[in-house]
Order: sequence, then structure tokens, then C-alpha cells
Amino acid sequence: MAAGAAALAMSAREAAAQSAPNSTLRTVLNRGKLIVGTGSTNAPWHFEDEKGQLTGMDITIAQILARGLFDDVTKVEFVKQEPAARIPNLTTGKVDCVIQFMTVSPARAQLVNFSRPYYIEGVALLTSAKGKYKTHKELLDAGSQAKASVLQNVDADNLVHKALPQAQVMQLDTQANAIQALDSGRADAAVIDLSTVGWLVKRNPGKYLDSGFHYETQIYSVALRQSDLDWLAFVDTTLMVNMHGHQTDLYDKAFRDFFNTEPPRRVPGFPNI
Amino acid sequence: MNGWWSFVVSTMPFLWQGLLMTLFIAAVVVAISLVAGVLVGICFAYGPWWARLPLRICSDILRGTPLLVVIFTSYYLLPFIGLNLQPLPAFLAAMSAFMTAHVGEITRGAIQSIAAGQTDAGKAIGLTFGQRLVYVILPQAVRRFLPPWINSVTDAVKGSSLVSLVGIVDLMLAAQQVIGRTYEPLPIYVLAAMIYFVINYSLSSLSRSLEARYAYVRD
Amino acid sequence: MEYYLNFSLVWRHSARLWQGLALSIELAFISILIGCVIGFALAVAYTGGSRPVRWAVSSYVEFIRNVPLLLLIYLVFYGIPSAGGFSFDATESFVMTLSLYSGAYLVEVFRAGLDAIPKGAIDAGKAIGLTPWQRLIHVRFPIMLRIVLPSLSNAFISLFKDTSLASVIAVPELTYGANWIKTNTFRAVEVWIIVAPMYVVTGYVILAVLRFLERSLLRGARR
Repeated sequence: MAAGAAALAMSAREAAAQSAPNSTLRTVLNRGKLIVGTGSTNAPWHFEDEKGQLTGMDITIAQILARGLFDDVTKVEFVKQEPAARIPNLTTGKVDCVIQFMTVSPARAQLVNFSRPYYIEGVALLTSAKGKYKTHKELLDAGSQAKASVLQNVDADNLVHKALPQAQVMQLDTQANAIQALDSGRADAAVIDLSTVGWLVKRNPGKYLDSGFHYETQIYSVALRQSDLDWLAFVDTTLMVNMHGHQTDLYDKAFRDFFNTEPPRRVPGFPNI
Repeated sequence: MNGWWSFVVSTMPFLWQGLLMTLFIAAVVVAISLVAGVLVGICFAYGPWWARLPLRICSDILRGTPLLVVIFTSYYLLPFIGLNLQPLPAFLAAMSAFMTAHVGEITRGAIQSIAAGQTDAGKAIGLTFGQRLVYVILPQAVRRFLPPWINSVTDAVKGSSLVSLVGIVDLMLAAQQVIGRTYEPLPIYVLAAMIYFVINYSLSSLSRSLEARYAYVRD
Repeated sequence: MEYYLNFSLVWRHSARLWQGLALSIELAFISILIGCVIGFALAVAYTGGSRPVRWAVSSYVEFIRNVPLLLLIYLVFYGIPSAGGFSFDATESFVMTLSLYSGAYLVEVFRAGLDAIPKGAIDAGKAIGLTPWQRLIHVRFPIMLRIVLPSLSNAFISLFKDTSLASVIAVPELTYGANWIKTNTFRAVEVWIIVAPMYVVTGYVILAVLRFLERSLLRGARR
């Protein structure tokens, strides 16, 4: 009987090994820690707090995955990377997954797999309290006189022109420099993430303004290497449980801390996910 | 001014680790490139053509490419030949190779500036090649070598800032991290510029005293 | 690791690379011209100047040479308008930075060049009654130019490579074009495979042209 159970366990383990010999899931479990590509320079997504600890919504999502894998939120190693390195670091095997405010797009989906969304971001125009134009209408009326700074990114020109069709676009190397361009008077508006506008306006009430125009929805997901169904399914399942199931504590705390918003109440009954 | 000082005092602890990383990278790169570069330079000056040719090609390619491109090549292209390096080794390899090429040229220039008569004199009194190199050529070449080499050390400190592009927290990325929390880059850029200035100015002052010490042979 | 190289997306945007390369060369060229003016003027001022003048020139040279170029670019681009100064556009702001940067390096080059002028040549100038200004233009400058030519070529090549940093303030040079294609097609590897040789080959061609010019100038001088 015992021998039979052992044989059964053995064959189950062999079966698991055979089902996905090359899955990242297996590699990560054997390694004992998860390697996540992310940034360290963009509050409230991924940044160092006053104690020098990496924190933010993206970091929490990584900890959620580590808890799912090892029942330990600390079993995760962060590889700091530029936004431009997100896909290269994934495809060249530097990281197991990328969690770095990465917008899902069909073009990107040709190169990587995306998990289910963990947040839907918007875009907003940050203006300066001492600037020439403060509201979206003033910026629109300024036409091609208005200059807008934005992070160098896919389709960045179009992103700006959706809000300000005639504005001059200034694509800069970091989101912080896009905001610095506003401070320096080089730009009249910084086109940045809605959550960052919220974060900045709340922290510097006299300095920055929300121009009042919010647009665009951008789906943020975890990016994974292609052709690895087991790994993708694991990440999806873990996110589902942490956002809709019985383990929502980490997600909800991050939602309150970083977006200053109360997470929605989950209702039993029909699975609205 | 008070505001500036409290800013410096509150920010320095975050930059400190990054500063140490910058100094570490510069030290490793300078050490490797000094040893390898001097050997390459000696080979340029005395080596047979089949050793010089491949070194010449590598050296010219490395010196002709922006350091940034060398780094990305090391990090993203080497995995295709089965060398998937971690960010720090990839960066150190790229930058050491880049600096070795430069130090090799400096060494070659220094050696070739020594008059041929010196070698002949060494041969005449029966010194072997190694003895001529160690006792005759190199001691004289050192003083031609030092000024451009010290410049290259300053370049190494400054070039180390590119390591932030592969996600290693050096002074530059540490600064960007503080900026990512506060979203106020300009004061940090000023502070970082001052720190780089202090390091590099100390190095170049040190170099001037070294040069003075080795300038005992007059032309 | 499976990754399939695909260059077609990069070719579709290759105009950004060619235009970027042309702008890189142009930026380096304008900057070295302005840098030469700064460098020569300050070298002359240093060589014949009083203590405060020499101190001012050294401070400028030491400051520029000991701070990473990237920070200088940020300081000029974001700092000058913040301090209430003129707001040049990104390209002008970069040219200004690179000119100041090359100027600081060229001061040293020109100073060494001026020091290396044989004393006899200056004495000869005095003997035939040239004023100090005439000696500077007709004697010291042409002799110095021949001495510093090789260093100028090297400086131009390194400035050409430094233009890659202009990408951070959205100047559409070669690296910016490369980054644009990279972010819009995600083909980082392919882009670098093309752009790295573009830098190397262009650098080589420029160097060959400059060495040729040097040789013909020097040959003319010897005749």
C-alpha cells in the first residue's frame, strides 16, 4: 500500500516534469525565487520609499506572485531596468516576467504574452500652477503654441495629439524629466499617467494642477515569454485569486496606499471576473 | 542656502550606496584595463603581425563605437552566442574591453615615443628583450603614459554612469531613484554634478602630483 | 532561447536613421567649430593672461572636464530656463552644451600647441616688426594649427560619438532614431545590429578623411 502510494507519487511527479520540462514555472520553483524585471524611478508604480525600500503597485504584484509560488513575499529578486529594456530583458532570458507599468498592445503581444490585467491606467495632462496655460481648454486654445512633454514611448506623438491635436511634442527619456520640463518652463503640459498626476497633485498642491482632461485607458499586465502556457496560467490564476478571491489583502492595501482609492467590494454569486 | 543644505543632508544617504558602486566599477575597470591594456600596447609595439592584426581590428572597432553601444552589445547580443551575462559582469566586460583598447593605444604611443637608440644601446650592452623592456623602455615610457592615462581614469568614472542603463544602482541611478519619489530632478542633477566633480577633480589633482614625480627625465 | 531576427520593421523606418546620422555629424561639426573658437580664445587668454584670468580659465576647464556630459546636458536643458535664462530649443541647447564641453578640452590642446611653437618663429616675427596681434594671426596661429591638427581630428570623432547623448533631450539624432524604432517596433537587437556599424563606419570614414586632409595640409606646409 505504502509502496503503491510512493509509486503513484513518483509517477505524478514524473508526469508533472514531463508536462512542461521547459516551463519557467518549473525553473522558478527549482530556483527558489522569482526574478522580476521592473523599474525603481516612478512613483507610485515602482520606486524607493524614504527608507530606501523598493515599493509601489508593481512591486506588490511581484510580491503577490512570490506568495503564490513560495508562500513568502520576500522570495523575489528585482532586476532594475529601463522601460526600453522591458521586452529585450524578457526575450533574452534576463528575467522571468516583467511587471513595470507595461501597457498591453497587440504589437507587443506579437513578442510577449500578457497576463490578465492588474490595473487600468488613464492618461492626464499635468500643468504648472505658475504656467501660461492651466486648463485643458487653455491648452487647446493655444494650438501649436502649446508644448507638451511626454515619455519616449510607442505612439507617444499620437497619445499627445489625442488630447491636444496641434501641440508640439517633446519626447523625453524619463517621466521625471517630462515633469521637469514642465517645471523648467520648457513644456506647458506634461502628458503622464493619471495615477502619477493624482500622486503629484496630492503631494504638491500649490505647484501642480490637473488640467481636468482624462482620457485613454491603458491596460497594465504582467509580461511573460511566449509559448509557456503553464507559467502564464499560473500568473493568471494567482492574480485572479488575489484580486477576486480569498487573498485580496495585499492588492487592496496597495490600492489604498498608492492610488488613494477604496478597492471595489467583491460580491459572492455570479463570477463577475 | 539653508534649504539647499537640508536637501543635501537628507538626500546623501540615498546616493551613498550608488557612489560606492560608481567607485567600485571605476576601480575594477581601471585595474583590468591597465593590466590588459599595457600588454596589448606592448604587443602593438613589438608583437608579430598575426598577433597585432586581430588586436588592431578589435581595438579599432571598440574605440570607434560609442560606449553605450558596446554595453548594449555585451548585454543583449552575447546571449545569442550562449553567453547570458548578469548586468554587472556584462557591463564590466564591455567597459573593461573598451578601456583596454584605449589604454593599449596610450601604451603603444608611449613606447614608440622612446627613441630607437635606447633599444640599440640596450642590445649593445647585451640586455635581453625582457630586460630592455623592464629597465630601459618602460621607465621612460611611464611619463608619456601617465597624463593621457589619468584622463582615461576620469573617463572611466564618468563612463560608469552608463551602468544605470542595465539596472545597476550607481550614483546616477541612485539619483534617478530619489527623483522617482520626489519628481524634482534639477536639484539632484546639481548635487550629482558636484559629487562627480569632487571625485574627478581629486583624481586629476592626484595625477598632476604623480606626473611631477615621474617627470625626472627631461626631453 | 528562441528569438527570430526580423529586420523588415527596422527598414521601414530607416529614414529616421539616415536623417539621424546626418544630424549627428552636423551637431558634432557645429560644436567643434564653436568649441575651437572658445578653446583658442581661452588658450590665448591663458597663455598671456594675468593670474585671475588663468584661474577663471582653469575653473571652466576643470568643471566641464570633471562632470559627466549627461549631467551637463540636463543642467543646460532644464537648469538654464529654471534659473530664468533663455529657453533655447533642445537642439540649440545641446549644441551649446557640446560646444562648451569641446571648448574645455580644446583649451588644453591649443595651449599645448601654443607652447610648442618654436621661440625662433616668434622672435623672427618681432624682428620684422609685427605687432603682437599680427604675430598671433600670421605666425603663432598657423604654426599651432599644424601641431594640433591630429588632436582636432580625434576630438571631432569623440564629439561625433558624444552626440548619441542628445537623444535624452529629444534631439532627433541617430541614437534617438534608434530608440524611436526600438520603442515602436520592439526590435532592439535588430536596431543595434544596424546602428552600431553605422557609428563605427561613419567614425572610420570621418577619421580617414581628416587624416587625408592633415597629410595634404602638412605636405603643403613643408614645401
